[in-house]
Amino acid sequence: MLYDRPVHRPIGEIAMAVEVSDELRLEHSFRVLALKQALEADLPKGVRELIPTHRALGIVFDPLVISFIELSDVIRSLEPALDRLRTLPSRVVEIPVWYDDPWSQACARENGVKDNMEFLAEINHTTVQGVIDWHTGRQHWVSAVGFQPGTYQTIPLDTSEVITAPKYERPRKSTPARIVCLAGMITSFYPFESPGGYQLLGRTPLELYDPDQRLSAFRDGPVLSKVGDRHRYVSIDEIEYRRIRTEVERGSYDYRIEPGECRLEDWVRAT
Amino acid sequence: MTPLPSIVVLKSAGQTTIQDLGRTSLVKDGIPPAGAFDALSLKIANKLVGNDPGDWMVIGSRPGAAGLEVLMGGLSFVPTRNAVIAVSGAEADVAVDDAPAEMWKSIQVPAGARVSIGPSRHAARVYVAIDGGINVPPVLGSRATHVRARLGGLGGRALRQGDVVPLEPGDPHDLPDRWLSPDRRPKLSPPWALGVVLGPQDYLFTSASVDTFLATEWKMSHVADRMGCRFLGPPLSFRERPDYLIAQAGSDPSNIVDDMTHFGGIQVPSGLEPIAMGVEFPSIGGYAKIATLISTHVSRLGQIRPGDSVRFVSYSLEAAVAELRACLEPASFEPAVV
Repeated sequence: MLYDRPVHRPIGEIAMAVEVSDELRLEHSFRVLALKQALEADLPKGVRELIPTHRALGIVFDPLVISFIELSDVIRSLEPALDRLRTLPSRVVEIPVWYDDPWSQACARENGVKDNMEFLAEINHTTVQGVIDWHTGRQHWVSAVGFQPGTYQTIPLDTSEVITAPKYERPRKSTPARIVCLAGMITSFYPFESPGGYQLLGRTPLELYDPDQRLSAFRDGPVLSKVGDRHRYVSIDEIEYRRIRTEVERGSYDYRIEPGECRLEDWVRAT
Repeated sequence: MTPLPSIVVLKSAGQTTIQDLGRTSLVKDGIPPAGAFDALSLKIANKLVGNDPGDWMVIGSRPGAAGLEVLMGGLSFVPTRNAVIAVSGAEADVAVDDAPAEMWKSIQVPAGARVSIGPSRHAARVYVAIDGGINVPPVLGSRATHVRARLGGLGGRALRQGDVVPLEPGDPHDLPDRWLSPDRRPKLSPPWALGVVLGPQDYLFTSASVDTFLATEWKMSHVADRMGCRFLGPPLSFRERPDYLIAQAGSDPSNIVDDMTHFGGIQVPSGLEPIAMGVEFPSIGGYAKIATLISTHVSRLGQIRPGDSVRFVSYSLEAAVAELRACLEPASFEPAVV
């Protein structure tokens, strides 16, 4: 439910959440980004960081410079303009994935799941290729970044067809690095070996987290994904996987990133 | 050729890591500050040896000099140059070549002498500052070790026997001996009280459960590390949720559509065992957060040991800001010259 007006909630004395809704919807994510853009245009003194997630904008601030109430007043003054922001800058990032790769298969088996992709195909009444076609056949909107360094959560822009995945009943103790995974319709990513509960789709040869900022795509920061990006997945085979992986390790891989815009009207009927 | 100044680790019984006040403005990328869990104690130790203590975790602009965080004590090392060190935080026996030395006081250590720190008493983390500071390369603006992401510090990991940890050259001028008198040191022993600001999702809990949260004497469980600490006590319950949220956020009554988790946030998965977030917190999560520790008391959380009794005390926003102002006032921990 979209709130009549965003609710401002304290997160201790050094942060606040400006919450636009309690749901995950593209139009609510847009509103969060619209507020972020409006704040950045004239960033109030004392604001240290803006953290957009699906349905709220987190603001970290120094309360010895600006108080919660002063910051709240600034945000209230920006709210009337949010409705009009219906086109946002949005890059398209291409992510090659070796679907149903041997690492995912081994990881699923270790967790008592005989065949991860067969399972997803079965519960969605399709084939393994059907799951891959669905995942590669649409753009995915990044509506949150975080949990771990470089992890993201995306929702499909085109929801005319639906593939969903339940989370593991018992979370895994470990998942290999660079696994792309699915829960509900949310695609996410494990940048390094870590516990997790999402279903495993495949492995990408790309680094999406580079703390040393060695690769040129990371010139502006250690994490590639930004809220408001669109991801496009491309299915690759073992040979292609190994070729790209070698280039990434050498630091010579050219990430495919196109600048662009995303119009809310293209995906959500005007209300 | 003169070897670069360093300390050589002879023994590390527990988890010893290189820490400063951590990274800032990277939570949007999923990168928490890391840094000293008891940042106030590290700041004091740095002050005692004449280092930059930095300003503050998360909202600051200076991470200050890097020192050592020693979980539960148990560390010995040798500096390869003359050094001034200070030991703060949890109480422990300190010795330089078998001669006892005091905590919360600057200590002259000649090159080649052995510094040993015994097991900690009453609290969890001992801090060591060395004049000049530790000189590992900063990663993303800080030397802090983020153990889970293998970031910063020495190869992103805890120190081991035989490690050679580079030091800054150190200030050539003679530093007068300094100490912090006992009445001005933080009280680092149980029972503990942790200040919280209620929210961001206290409204999802029943009001009786919010009362229970504040009235209970909780016990810290053994599931406690730099990422977060769990507490044992009564179950908490949630208000009824509309059906669309059950579909969107998940079937557990504590589930919300993921939002930002932050420094000191207290989430309560399934209403059981509240988890207070530490310095390596996951930056988003799908569980309701009943309250958030005031930032200066995250330092205190870093000193609590499993089994200790803890109460959560409600602070108004104004009181929390006043506490922050008092803690960051340099006079509050300016050491005296002996």
